[in-house]
Amino acid sequence: MDDTSPPPHSPNLPRPPAGAAGAAPQPGPDEVALVIDDRPVVVKKGTTVLQAAEKAGLLVPHYCYHPGLSIAGNCRMCLVEIEKVPKLQIGCATVVAPGMVVRTGNERVRTVRAGIQEFLLINHPLDCPICDQAGECRLQSYEKDYGRGVSRFVDEKVHSPKRYDIGRSVVFDGERCIKCTRCIRFCDEISESHELALFQRGDHAIIGTFPGKPLDNPYSGCTVDVCPVGALTWKPFRFKSRVWFLKNVPSVCAGCARGCNVYLAAFRNRLHRMTPRANPDVNAYWMCDAGRQSYAALYERPRLERPVVRPSAAAWDAAFDRAAELLRGVAKSRGAGALAGIVSARLSVEDLHVSRKVLGDLAGISRLAVPPHEDGADDELLIRRDKTPNARGARLIGVGGPSAGRVKEIVDDVAAGRVRGLVVVGEDLLELPGVTTALLDRLDVLIVIDWWKSPTVERAHVAFPACGYGEFEGTMVNFQGRVQRLRAGVRPAGEADPVWRILRDLGRRFDLTSEYATPAAIFDEVAATVPAFRGLSYKVLGETGAPAAEAVAGEAYAGGAPAVGGAGLAGSIAPAGS
Amino acid sequence: MAFEAVLTRNIRKPGSDGIDSYLASGGYQGLRRILKETAPERLVDEVKNSGLRGRGGAGFPTGMKWGFLPKTKDRPRYLCVNADESEPGTFKDRLLIEKDPHLVLEGIILSAYAIECQLAFFYIRGEFHQGYRTFERAVGEAYAKGFLGKNIQGSGYDLDILIYRGAGAYICGEETALLESLEGKRGYPRIKPPFPAVVGLYGCPTIINNVETLANVTLIAERGAAWFASIGRPPKNTGPKLFCLSGDVKRPGVYEAPLGVPFLELLNEYAGGMAHPDRPLKAAVPGGSSMKILPASKCDVLMDFDSLAAAGTSLGSAGGIVMDSGTCMVAALLNIARFYAHESCGQCTPCREGTGWIVKILSRLERGEGRREDVGLLADIAVKIEGNTICPFGEAIAWPVDSYVKTFRDEFEEHARRGACPMRPATVR
Amino acid sequence: MTVPVRPETDRKIDALLGRYPKKGSALLPALYLVQEEKGHVSDESMEYVAGKIGVSPAFVAGVVSFYTMFHRAPVGRHHIQVCRTLPCALRGADELMRHVQARLGIRDGQTRPDGKFSLVSVECLAACDRAPFIQINDREYGPVDAAAMDDILKGLE
Repeated sequence: MDDTSPPPHSPNLPRPPAGAAGAAPQPGPDEVALVIDDRPVVVKKGTTVLQAAEKAGLLVPHYCYHPGLSIAGNCRMCLVEIEKVPKLQIGCATVVAPGMVVRTGNERVRTVRAGIQEFLLINHPLDCPICDQAGECRLQSYEKDYGRGVSRFVDEKVHSPKRYDIGRSVVFDGERCIKCTRCIRFCDEISESHELALFQRGDHAIIGTFPGKPLDNPYSGCTVDVCPVGALTWKPFRFKSRVWFLKNVPSVCAGCARGCNVYLAAFRNRLHRMTPRANPDVNAYWMCDAGRQSYAALYERPRLERPVVRPSAAAWDAAFDRAAELLRGVAKSRGAGALAGIVSARLSVEDLHVSRKVLGDLAGISRLAVPPHEDGADDELLIRRDKTPNARGARLIGVGGPSAGRVKEIVDDVAAGRVRGLVVVGEDLLELPGVTTALLDRLDVLIVIDWWKSPTVERAHVAFPACGYGEFEGTMVNFQGRVQRLRAGVRPAGEADPVWRILRDLGRRFDLTSEYATPAAIFDEVAATVPAFRGLSYKVLGETGAPAAEAVAGEAYAGGAPAVGGAGLAGSIAPAGS
Repeated sequence: MAFEAVLTRNIRKPGSDGIDSYLASGGYQGLRRILKETAPERLVDEVKNSGLRGRGGAGFPTGMKWGFLPKTKDRPRYLCVNADESEPGTFKDRLLIEKDPHLVLEGIILSAYAIECQLAFFYIRGEFHQGYRTFERAVGEAYAKGFLGKNIQGSGYDLDILIYRGAGAYICGEETALLESLEGKRGYPRIKPPFPAVVGLYGCPTIINNVETLANVTLIAERGAAWFASIGRPPKNTGPKLFCLSGDVKRPGVYEAPLGVPFLELLNEYAGGMAHPDRPLKAAVPGGSSMKILPASKCDVLMDFDSLAAAGTSLGSAGGIVMDSGTCMVAALLNIARFYAHESCGQCTPCREGTGWIVKILSRLERGEGRREDVGLLADIAVKIEGNTICPFGEAIAWPVDSYVKTFRDEFEEHARRGACPMRPATVR
Repeated sequence: MTVPVRPETDRKIDALLGRYPKKGSALLPALYLVQEEKGHVSDESMEYVAGKIGVSPAFVAGVVSFYTMFHRAPVGRHHIQVCRTLPCALRGADELMRHVQARLGIRDGQTRPDGKFSLVSVECLAACDRAPFIQINDREYGPVDAAAMDDILKGLE
């Protein structure tokens, strides 16, 4: 069960028709058979009652339990009845025993649950109308499903520090907090940054930080994900949109080579947030703050919305024709060696495949270089030094991996006048070492495909508007060699188009015959022609991706579990029985 | 048969807290003999056979608890002494620690020997400054005379003891909260199972015993299980007991008597009867404020675990609190409800939120702003807490609320009806 | 960072680190040592102790705030603790508390401006047979009535 997505809160499923179950399945040597709400279920030894219930299709409501964190057992919402045990037991911490008979929804349990709900609400502020969590709030959902709907509390509520910046990007509201300690456990067990603690005791207990040491780790946004209520909110998202208006699209972050699985959330064709999507092989339940905000660049930089044939906007056909003409011109007057291409490892597999086809095979550009973008170091959790999401994909597809050397060769050749024409896809050349405006001015032909009006775009002879992150569908290969699907969350701005389609249409001017109607079709061709992608298709990739095949040149798949050190991530994958 | 005081036999002697006095009256002989003649398992059996039940409040059979230790010895075992005495109405452990520390210490060494542990911890509440100094001195004396340290009395058995001060938290008297505090953390009770005997201090098998329980081990080692089991109300309620009486009595104090002594005998013979002749007994809590209250009409009861359980309450820590007719039961309940709200660790929902809520309702009732439905509400809150918490603190607040409201419902309803406390001014008295 | 305690205290804390099977246990005793020297536990002290024990300052602050005997701010030279729990209340603890507040001119939880006295109500001190019972710093007094309290305070003024 995905525990971080905006939870579609699902009440207990209807009982299966009598007799349909047939004989109860027999448990294997490492398994336990038990009965939950008259449903027989078999799970691995060591599974908890709560997890077993999940497997049987039953939701046992809970706040403090999270499959990626240690068990706290403090909310008491998951209390269930176990036959022959006098007191109710918490399902999250009770390990199944052979022959156990569990009841998760009888009157006794429901009465206690309603009691827990009432207790949680007595000091909870009536903030729903102004609280971001509304619509994805467990307290709200559970009150509807399990609460009495009325409170008998008529006294003054406990007041707490409310609505302050507990970290750079996280706002804390102490009154909404239900002290489930998920946030503390995240900071202790996953980010291992230990900024949060509980202070005081009793109903004055409150989450806080040490003076001068705010919640500042690179994964602070995950505390907002795990918070079951609106006590911790993500500052950039506060008051931006009601969650029930958001359309969530599964995709993958493009901020670094990890490719954390995410949801893109959009409303009225605008992206409002990214949240992690569980994938035990890639990112467990988490993502970093930089990635979480990586969609924001889409709205912070000036967009290129229409093709440009310097100095003015142009129609697509005119631009394609002009670009082809310019490229042919250089080839004719100086030879094909005077042309070069810079393509980005931020592009998708589909984009890069068509790049290689059109630029390399058809337009005669023999030299393609991929600029590296590295910053910092790999950390012990998710963050990769390589800030491009598809470096491995570029290598596998035959364009070549990021190489500062190869880029430098081209740059030097431009300076020396040996390269006169350059096609740049998805990179701002002026970010690269050794590239100046003067250097660019030496070029006879500069064709640029990019999503924003970069300084390079400003100097292009022909520029084509491309989709930015979140606007295109495609696949990328992360550092592990896992091929994952991205989806578009919003329609492209202006007349922007996916890179592969722009290059396809440019390719038509070079006699490209392939139809390349959709990204799926392009991927199918990749799967058929590139050994590393053998056997894959969008269907096979599904929502959580699949490893590239044992590929050529030592590009083997880097294993199923995320390559991290410490207990950090490995311990956070959903345990046996899930 | 006249009862011979054994637990309190030394406390009135001058210098009773010193080892010389203790040795002079035959102290540490039991230990010497056990170390020489008795294997640890045999001592465990002896304690089992004595019928000794924990004196901290739960009354769990001590020998049986020791028997829960796993047989394998791959991890060290620890003995933790629970000297965190904080249950309102209870002050018997303080007496032993301050006046006869060696009686306790000998019991600690014996028990550590029995469970085959090499390191014991003495967790003493921070407010016991005198007790800490006294016990520290006693430990030093024991080391000096070879009753602690390496090769105790030439037996080959090693034991060290560390004294650890709590810092003001009633909840640290709960076994697993004590362990958390000992590990240098907030005193949050742990989820059980696993129980401390299997996973305890630093994750190792650990036994936690109360001070008075351990003093009784000294006596059992000295005089045998049969002797111990002949005292009190065998077979299930055996041994001598320290009973505390406080509140509206003439002579509040600690009184030693066999388990099963009648409450009224304790009250009238030992404690001198009611403090004010014109204010008869109204109610009493037999075992510390966490236990259910008995109205005067039900106080004709024997003071042992099973008799009090049958009477609908519990011996608990034997901290008897006596209330006379001048006591407003709403104010009394409010007083202890404030105690529980202050001491709740705040970890789990029902206790954290419920204790504060109970105080707010009782405050309103006592100052005349109570509503008729508040009385039933109080009772229901208690029902919603009891059994649903991580530790018995839930019962500790639920039982008083439940029993005071049940037993004195009229008084509570009168507060609401009248819009005032019928016994103004609004204090306990 | 600069060590906020005397070298002797610093040495004692170092000695604590090896005393227990797990270093974490040294936290409470270390906090007591700091408070013994300085009268309270400041933010600076908490950060220092956190470094010694190998836990985060937030963790230490959470621990300090859990236990009533650690003071985050200075208390009076004579820290008067009056028990308020039922057995003492039955014997007049409420009246005693009112009396002390009136005599000192401060309320429960406050420190007198001259820093000489601070006053706080505390829960059961396990001396119910000597009710009403109080502690002043680490000294005990009980039973204490208004007259006895006045004598004690006079002696301390």
